[in-house]
Formats: sequence, C-alpha cells, structure tokens
Amino acid sequence: MEPYADLGTQLEEWVERGRALVGAGAELELYAQEHRGLTVRVFRGEVESLRYAHSRGVGVRVLREGRLGYAYCTGFDWRDCSRAVEEAAANARFSAPDEHNLLPSPADRSPGDLGIYDPEVEETASREKVELALRLEDLTISLDPRVRRVETAVYADGVSVVAVANSLGVSGTYRSSDCHCYVFPIAEDGEESQTGFSFDQGVKPSDLDLERVAREAAERALCLLGSRSMPSRRTTVVLDNMVAAEFMGMLAAALSAEAVLKGRSFLAGKQGEQVASSLVTVVDDGLLPGGPSTAPFDDEGVPSRRKELIRDGVLTGYLHNMYTASRSGTESTGNATRSSFRERPGVGATNLFLCAGKGAREELVRGVDDGVLILQVVGAHAGANPVSGEISLGALGLRIKNGEPEQPLREITLAGKALEFLRQTVAVGEDLRFLPFEGSLGAPTVVVEGVMVSGRG
Amino acid sequence: MSLLDRDMAARVIRTALSRGGEFAELFAERRSGYNLRLEEGKVEENTSGWETGAGIRVICGESVAYAYTNDLSLASLEETARAAAAAAKAGRSTAVGLEKPLRLLPRREDHPVRLDIDAFPRERKVELLHRADQAAREAGSRIVQVVVALGDARQEVFIANSLGEVVTDLRVRVRMVVQAVAAHEGEIQTGHESPGILGGYELFQEFPPEEVGRAAALQALTMLEARPAPSGPMAVVIANGTGGVLFHEACGHGLEADAVYKRASVFAGRLGEKVASPLVNAFDDATLVNRWGSFAYDDEGVRARRTPLIQEGVLVGYINDRKRAMRDGTEPTGNGRRQSYRHVPIPRMSNTYIEAGRDRGEDIIADTELGLYARKLGGGEVNPVTGDFIFAVTEGYMIRGGKVAEPVKGATLIGNGPRVLLDIDAVGGDLDFDTGMCGKEGQAVPVCTGQPTLRVRELVVGGTTEVV
Repeated sequence: MEPYADLGTQLEEWVERGRALVGAGAELELYAQEHRGLTVRVFRGEVESLRYAHSRGVGVRVLREGRLGYAYCTGFDWRDCSRAVEEAAANARFSAPDEHNLLPSPADRSPGDLGIYDPEVEETASREKVELALRLEDLTISLDPRVRRVETAVYADGVSVVAVANSLGVSGTYRSSDCHCYVFPIAEDGEESQTGFSFDQGVKPSDLDLERVAREAAERALCLLGSRSMPSRRTTVVLDNMVAAEFMGMLAAALSAEAVLKGRSFLAGKQGEQVASSLVTVVDDGLLPGGPSTAPFDDEGVPSRRKELIRDGVLTGYLHNMYTASRSGTESTGNATRSSFRERPGVGATNLFLCAGKGAREELVRGVDDGVLILQVVGAHAGANPVSGEISLGALGLRIKNGEPEQPLREITLAGKALEFLRQTVAVGEDLRFLPFEGSLGAPTVVVEGVMVSGRG
Repeated sequence: MSLLDRDMAARVIRTALSRGGEFAELFAERRSGYNLRLEEGKVEENTSGWETGAGIRVICGESVAYAYTNDLSLASLEETARAAAAAAKAGRSTAVGLEKPLRLLPRREDHPVRLDIDAFPRERKVELLHRADQAAREAGSRIVQVVVALGDARQEVFIANSLGEVVTDLRVRVRMVVQAVAAHEGEIQTGHESPGILGGYELFQEFPPEEVGRAAALQALTMLEARPAPSGPMAVVIANGTGGVLFHEACGHGLEADAVYKRASVFAGRLGEKVASPLVNAFDDATLVNRWGSFAYDDEGVRARRTPLIQEGVLVGYINDRKRAMRDGTEPTGNGRRQSYRHVPIPRMSNTYIEAGRDRGEDIIADTELGLYARKLGGGEVNPVTGDFIFAVTEGYMIRGGKVAEPVKGATLIGNGPRVLLDIDAVGGDLDFDTGMCGKEGQAVPVCTGQPTLRVRELVVGGTTEVV
C-alpha cells in the first residue's frame, strides 16, 4: 500500500471513534486534505517570491435528524479532531432539519488509472522549477522588442492527498499532482501598453510547453497595440477559446442543481428545452484522463463520472451532489465539491466543457464579414451573472472585416443575455482548451451573432 | 497567553537568516471563526473552525522566500525556517537586532469590542439571520429568495522580526451579507447589503438586521421595474458609499507600491503631479475606529496610520509594505497585509476613500440634465497597466432634467481610472463607507471603500439600448 493511503486508514479509525462521541442516530463524515506545493514567481530575471506550502486539515460533517453541523481543525490528531466532532454535533443542534441531508453509501466502482499523479513533481528539485519560471520570462521578452517586460511569470505545482470516510462505510483516498505556468507580458509602443496572457498545465513539470506559452502570451499583448474604441452596434462576435472558457464558468454556476433549486439560475426549469443552438453540447467529466479536476470520487465520496448537460442545444440535466439529488428525486452525478476542508460540500463542476466542433479559429474568423474577435474580457465575476443570465463585460479584441482581424479594440463592452449567446451560436471550433484556474473549464472558439457591442466614437 | 515564546521566535528567525538575507520574520496566528448561512428560510450552514499556523519569510534583495506550516512546535518551525532559508541566495546577511532579547511593542486597544463574539450565544446569532430574512421577505411578494450569511472571527497574531521587534494583536470581526432575489414574469434581479465591523456584535445596534434585509430587498424590487440601460457616453453621478469601490479598484490598486515598482500602474513616477480634479482628496486610513478595514498593527507589525494619497488633485503618496519601504528607501505606511499565515504580506489598502467635498449630493443631481445615477456598484475589474476599468451598476437610474428618473438595469461603467479622476466635476459632502473583501494575488482581506456623492462629466455606459 502506498504511504499516502495511510490517511484513509486513519480517517476510518477516527470515524469509528467519532461515532461513539456523537452517539446513536447521528451520521458522521470526515474529510481530510493534505497539500504540499511550491509557487515561484519571477520578475526581471530574479525570483520575486518562492513559496513553500504545507497545509492539512480535517472537516467534520455531523447529521442528526437531518440537521447538519460542520467544524474543521488543522490538527492532524485525535485531540483536535475529537473537538471538531463535538463542535459539529453542537452546531447541528442549531441548524434547520432537512430530510435531504444525506451521506452516500459505499459504491463499488473503481475507475482505474486516471493519470492524475506523477512523481516527477516531487522528484524535481526546487532549483529546476525556479529555472522553468526564469526561462518562461526570458523567452517571453526575447520575441519582440516591444515586449520588454512581464507583469509576472509563474511556475506552480502541488501534490494533494484527499481522503473521505463516513459512518455508512464510504472510505477512499487518492493522490494527485498538478503543475502549471503562466505569464502576463506587457507590450509597449509609445505611451500605450497592453497586457497579454497565456498558460500551460499538466501533472508534471515536463508537460509544460514554455515556448508555446511565451509566444502566445506575447502575441496576445502585441496584437492589441494601437487599440481604440468603436461605435456601438449589434454585430457578430468570435469568442477566443480562453474567453469562451471563461463564459463556461457562468454556465457551470447556472447548471448547478443547488442554484436551480434555490432559484439562482437562469437555466432553472428548462430541463428538456432547447436552450442553445444545436451546435452546443456541454459535458462535465470527472474522469477526464489527466484533467485538472479529475478524481476517482467527489468531495463526499461519490464515484466520479461523465455526464452530458446540454446535448445538441437541449438541456438534459444539472450537476448534483447527494443533497440536491435527493431533493430533485435523482441520483448524485458526483459533483460534490469543496474548496478545502474548511467547507461542507456544495455543488460544482469537475472538468466542464463545450464539446469541440469543426474548424480552426482562423477558419471561423474567415467566415465573418463584419464583426469582432474578442481576445480578453474584463469583469467576468461581476458582469456575467448566472442568476439573471445577464452579460455585461468589458472587452479587448480585434475588429474583423471581410474575414480578416484588423483594428485592435479597447474600451468596448459586450452585453446581452446568456440564453441569447447560447441560441445565437453559429459556429463552434475544434480548438477545445481548458482553463485550469478556479476549476477546470474548457471551450473551443465560438461564433455568436447579433451581440450588442458598445463603445465610444 | 502569547502564541509563541519570544526566545523561541528569536531562534527561528536566526535559522531563517542562516543562509543570508536582509530581513526575516515569523508570523504566527491562532484563528477561530463561526459561519452561519440561511437560505430558503432555513439555517443550512452552521460551521465553526479553528486553525493555527505560522509563516516564515526571508527577504533578500527583491526576492522573498516564504514557507508555512500548521504545526507551531519548535522542531516544525525550525524545519520551516530552513525551507525559507534554503530559498535565499547565499549572501549578505544583516541580522540586526537579534543580539538582545526581542522587544515587545505595546499592545493596542484602538478598536474596542463591546459585544464579544464568544460571549454572544449561538441562539442569538441564529436569530439575527431570521430577522434579516423575514424583513426582506416582508418587503414585497416578489421576493423569491433571501440568503443571509453571518460570519465572526477572532484572530490572534504574533509577529517577530529580525529588527528585534515583537507585536501581538487581536482582531475581532463580524459581518453580515444579505442577498435578496426578486422575480416577476421571468425577470430576476438581486439586491445586496453587507455591513461589517472590526469589533463584535454591537454591529447590529447600528445596523439592525431588519434594516439590512429590507434594504437588500428594496434594491432587488426596484431593479425588477428597471428598463434596459442605454449605452453610450453620458454624465454619471455616483452615489456615496458603494461607489467608492470604483476609486478602490480603478485608482487605489495603482497606488500600491508593488504595482508602482513594477510600473504596472498608471500612477508610477507621478508623485507631485496633478492626477485628478482639484476637487479630489483621497486617503487610506487604517486608524478609523472599528471600521471593517481597520487594524491596530498591520500584518508586518507596523502601526496603522492615515496616508494621504491625493491632495487637491495632486498625487502625494503611495501605500507600501516593509519590503517596498526597505527597497525604495521610504517609510513603511502600515499597509503590509495578508489573508493568513499561508500568505506573503503585500501592499494592500485598508479603508480607502475620497474625502467629503463642498457640494450637496442632491444639488449634484439637480445640476445634471441627462445622465446615469449609479446608486450601487457591484464588482468590477481593472487593467492596472492601462487603468481601463469596467464596473457593474447594480442599482442605477436615469437622471432627467435634474431629477432621478426611471431605474435602469444591466448597465456597466467603462472607462479609464486616471481620466475619470480628472473628469470629476462635483464632490458632495456625504462621505459614506461600504465593506468588501478585496482580492489580490489570490489573497482576500477586509477593506472599506468610501466616497461622497460625486459626478463624472462623461463615462461610457455599457447597456443594451440607445439613449432615449
């Protein structure tokens, strides 16, 4: 047995001891997480910061007569953990009873090797990882004289061990590694400056293609030089795959059954309806090989799986954990998520993506006579509202004329409704790409007609 | 009882500097918190937690090495210090101040806690949520959902550094966030309120939960009646209170010394220059008593202070942390903050605001023929290099003929921070604050934003219709 599996064994033992503390009639779940990571940030050829992280903690969920109490601690011993069990039981007394608060029972499903761990992360010396970040910065500023500096260049990795055990007999442990790098170069011409961005990610340092990241990031900054605003008009927009992936965050939030049940989703009550163009198929796949959010089971111990949420434009289902599934009379889709041991499980996407269609970005752009290629959006947190479905975002991009990207644009906004964006999608490209930040969201280039673009001039 | 022993701290700091470096510091904390969340009229989250941890930092030139652990035993701290030391390039070491025992700076009681969080019973905390929920629901039958979150936290910190100083501080905070959702004929709108305090449960004497709930509900109900916002350039009057988030995001971040150093700021190199309308005076002030963004000492053990940023339109100061102060040869401004022991301190705002001016808020509106009245702003984003920003107007109205007219929805403000500062042509006397959690480099810290009612001569409003 791998040493990391000890954590699971330890949790099983604590669940047994915890049962005695909470007494008969209560169910108990322990979730433990241990993480070691390194983040290197470089600037002007020097290490700006180097950060070693070692954190661990246990989260305790107690259910008694449908009342839920939660507590967490950072001690990895029974003394702290038993106190958390008692505190969670005390908190449960002050929560509202809800028959849908349930823990999962053991399920017999073993997904095999998911490709989510590689020992290379732990075997590579910190010194070499620092070199990777320095090289990324150096490559980025060596491509074009107008890109002489970066805002930041980062290499980061981590190894996590997660274990879940509950009083119904669920017990599991897994280990995962992740690795990513990104750079924000600044392109300057006279008084004007523009920021670019690119990244790569994988399960080990050698997965990262630094040359490609540097080149793409620099190009994304350079192509915006000389930008200005444009007069307001309704037009066709081509959403770059990173931008489209950001929009998937809004969709992921609206597809959560928790949001649907609580009236916080613009997709509530639309199951079975055509909510998007027939070109749109959206999948959440917790078992995607090597995916940034791939794991054998979710954050309450339900086995992960792949599910279609929108098929050919028809909304086929929502993301569920045990609680929302029970309330909706369905089964958990393995989408219980928590950002750390400090939180009880909610509902969230694993690897959620818009399935690839046909054509490279260039081909999609060539099909647009008059429109805008959107390369960056700003305000995605505030301006893409999954409750109302309203979108109002600042953007940067390029004006498209006769199938060619031309005049760079800034100080423009995109506005409309998410359902309009989904229904007015007229092309989906082949270049599916995942953004590993704040989850794992993927999309190819997308073309949407009739979008209101506002500006000045 | 102190979190750590002073002699032990001195030993750990010496270890951290064993391979070189100009400055080392040990930051330890013990934090406990309680979080309640009510939705659909039911308390569905009831969480308590506590954690201890320590972070050790070594500064060597522009480089910072940081390592942290949850284990405060001497062996663990020494191991963590060695990890931080290993990252420092071998070289110059200036371990001053460690020959003598560490000197404990006076404990400050600047922000009194009148109703302590541990003495306030769980039942009464739960009751506060129900009171806010009920008031929001009673505001109108179109209120379909109310979410109330209540959080309290106690953070004890112990900070020791190679200057030979030790600071201990206790921060107690309470905040309530209410979100109300109104729906009618397929239209959904939300309203938010979020009072918070560096203090205890006396917060609710000033902000009774009923009023907080009702205000959030009324905002959602109003916006339900709203027409789509127009798009295009127009005069924008930004209301006092939440409007301050625009200054915070579009200008404040550019005044943080790390952004200035990296020239990722439109304000870099512009000290002494005119950057704003002469009507504008702006400050960062962590000493405001019991304000959500206040503290007695920052997270590097520097005493809190009030820092002038802009005086009569002239840029007079930046805010920094110890590293930037050391490197730039300036005085620390007491703005070195971190989310927790897991985070490196960086220059952060505390309570940042535009000072009250001479006009009356209502006169500013009366003096505006056609424009947008941004009553409440939501989140926004800013490109620090260009100063370009975008903000969502969560509660907005048209101004027609000097009067607040119909509500408009879906509006955003698009502009450029420095240009907006220059285009401010009226500043009211009604300074007010709002609370927020400011995110930077993955760290969230409590801040207040503030401003009086003010007018920007022209801003691009991003909406979905033409101006009529």
